[in-house]
Amino acid sequence: MATGEAAIRVRNLRKSYGETRAVDGISFEVRTGEVFGLLGPNGAGKTTTVEILEGLRRADSGEALVLGVDTSRYPEVLKPRIGVALQTASLYPKLTVEELLALFRSFYGTRGRSPAELIERFDLVEKRKAQTRELSGGQRQRLAVALALVNDPELIFLDEPTTGLDPAARRALWELVLDLKRQGRTILLTTHYLEEAEVLCDRLAIMDHGRILEAGTTNELVDRHFKERAVRFTAIDSLGDERLRAIEGVVSLAHEDGEVVLYTRDVPATIGGVLDAAEALAVEPQNLIIRRPTLEDVFLVLTGRALRD
Amino acid sequence: MQALIQLTIANIRTFVRDRAALFWTLAFPLIFILMFGSIFTGGGAVPQTYAWADLDASAASAQLRSAFAAVPDVELKNESEAAGVKEMRDGKVRGVLVVPKGYGEAIAAASRATLPPVAITVYVDPTQQGASAQTVGLAQAILGQVNLAVTGRGPAVITATKAVQTRQFSYISYLVPSILGMALMQLGIFSAIPLVADREKLILKRLSATPLKRWQLVGSNVLMRLLIAIVQTVIIVSVGSAAFHVEVSGSYLLIGALVILGSMSFIALGYVIASFARTEDAANGMTSIIQFPMMFLSGTFFPIDGMPAILKVVAHILPLTYLSDALRQVMVGGTPLAPLATCFAVLGIFLVGCFAISAKFFRWT
Repeated sequence: MATGEAAIRVRNLRKSYGETRAVDGISFEVRTGEVFGLLGPNGAGKTTTVEILEGLRRADSGEALVLGVDTSRYPEVLKPRIGVALQTASLYPKLTVEELLALFRSFYGTRGRSPAELIERFDLVEKRKAQTRELSGGQRQRLAVALALVNDPELIFLDEPTTGLDPAARRALWELVLDLKRQGRTILLTTHYLEEAEVLCDRLAIMDHGRILEAGTTNELVDRHFKERAVRFTAIDSLGDERLRAIEGVVSLAHEDGEVVLYTRDVPATIGGVLDAAEALAVEPQNLIIRRPTLEDVFLVLTGRALRD
Repeated sequence: MQALIQLTIANIRTFVRDRAALFWTLAFPLIFILMFGSIFTGGGAVPQTYAWADLDASAASAQLRSAFAAVPDVELKNESEAAGVKEMRDGKVRGVLVVPKGYGEAIAAASRATLPPVAITVYVDPTQQGASAQTVGLAQAILGQVNLAVTGRGPAVITATKAVQTRQFSYISYLVPSILGMALMQLGIFSAIPLVADREKLILKRLSATPLKRWQLVGSNVLMRLLIAIVQTVIIVSVGSAAFHVEVSGSYLLIGALVILGSMSFIALGYVIASFARTEDAANGMTSIIQFPMMFLSGTFFPIDGMPAILKVVAHILPLTYLSDALRQVMVGGTPLAPLATCFAVLGIFLVGCFAISAKFFRWT
């Protein structure tokens, strides 16, 4: 498959559980050779989407073509060609690292990488004879990604690969994913960490309540939403949103951890307006700062809330 | 095929590394056998009690009785022939020795002339190979001494064996096959717990993202448990034989067939449990709720004949009753296949039923 061709093509995909629309008519494409991120809070429908693409669930309607295969109809054709790391590591607790890799390798016939090579590459040499229940969170997650590579897949799914890891382990895993990216692997990853999406993904889609709100590169997303700057300060109880929206230059407004974020086209006028309004109430704004918008701000504007785990 | 073998090996490794599983499947049944076995056999040498029916009532027969009684561990009870045979059927005596009328005269005559020998009748149960060989051996040894003392010209007295089918076996020969049945039942239904745990930990989901087929997954679980069942059978039968002289009188092939069919039936029951238990804790609870009543109501420790009528009805519904009964018949009763047909049929139907239920209700994720 030539670079740039669609590795994944999703059109109008829907999946409901009872009344809940987990995936509510989404469409997107992942090109061969890129790292594509599905970014969104827990419960946004990311995992359901990924599991449909992996052939683990059937969509209610819509089309999901992965490597040219209709995943709802021919999951068995697809499975040998993809690699999967689920949200939780899902490892047999009493098998050792090398036993588990050899076991998974045996599922794929002659296709794939040797366990020894993967152990080396994923920095598990010292732990190769350790049972997986003895591994740290970071080691487990590295093993989960190594398992996703035993068949040398054409496409890799990483569902929340760094959730629950400490910052050092997270960075170590990022390095491994960036390594895969440099090799030109196609990866679909889901995350609710904005920083992770910014570091790893060529392109991403922001997902919430089963819908894709926006898709593109990080820069595209920021530019599309913000000609503005963000003015941020600790919320003042008596200073309501309505009063704030009326301040000169303010385009939109969001709340984040007890802070108010005003997106403005005219920073000096907005700051003046905030100070005036505060003075009228005989209070002083605390922690007043100005900053350039980030992906976090895009997310705030699109969903009206901050993204936290 | 490679995947099936590798996954079976992985299952065996997981099983062997789980100390609790090892204890329950291998040590627990042995503890039962050793504990109950030593309580009910009183420890030490097993007394050999025989019924002694003396139809002659002569000095010579009294002398013969003393010769038998002098053998260590041998005890004699005076009985009529009929009463002795009845006691033997009920398992109260090991054999019956009958001294015929005219025994004293025949012995006295034998020192003067060659006469047809007089026969001491020995009742044995040929299906109890160890015990019957011992009884016949004992009688021949004593009568050999008598012959030697009486005459140098050929035997004056010989043994004539008669077969008695004993209805009740010694308690330990009842217990060993029962414990084997119980162990196979536990091994089978415990398959629910790792299965539910693997589902809870999303291991089953992870496996279903690979080309591994579901039959391979189920097949590897069943294969692993069948291998362990065979190990269990060998251990239990060996301990029964080595420690308590419970010899297998029936066909090993038939025992093997029962072990495999019984294991598969209870593994299928394990899958039924796994179909309805959402969490590992729930699976643990359900296996306990099923295994303990089954263990006690299926006549594992005491024959169901002695149970209250209602419990007897329950016992006749439980599949373990049929497995244990069949194992008992084959191991210590030596009964051929035909009377076992019902047991095989019940287990077969149970297997198919459980398979159908789990095929419908089992969830992989």
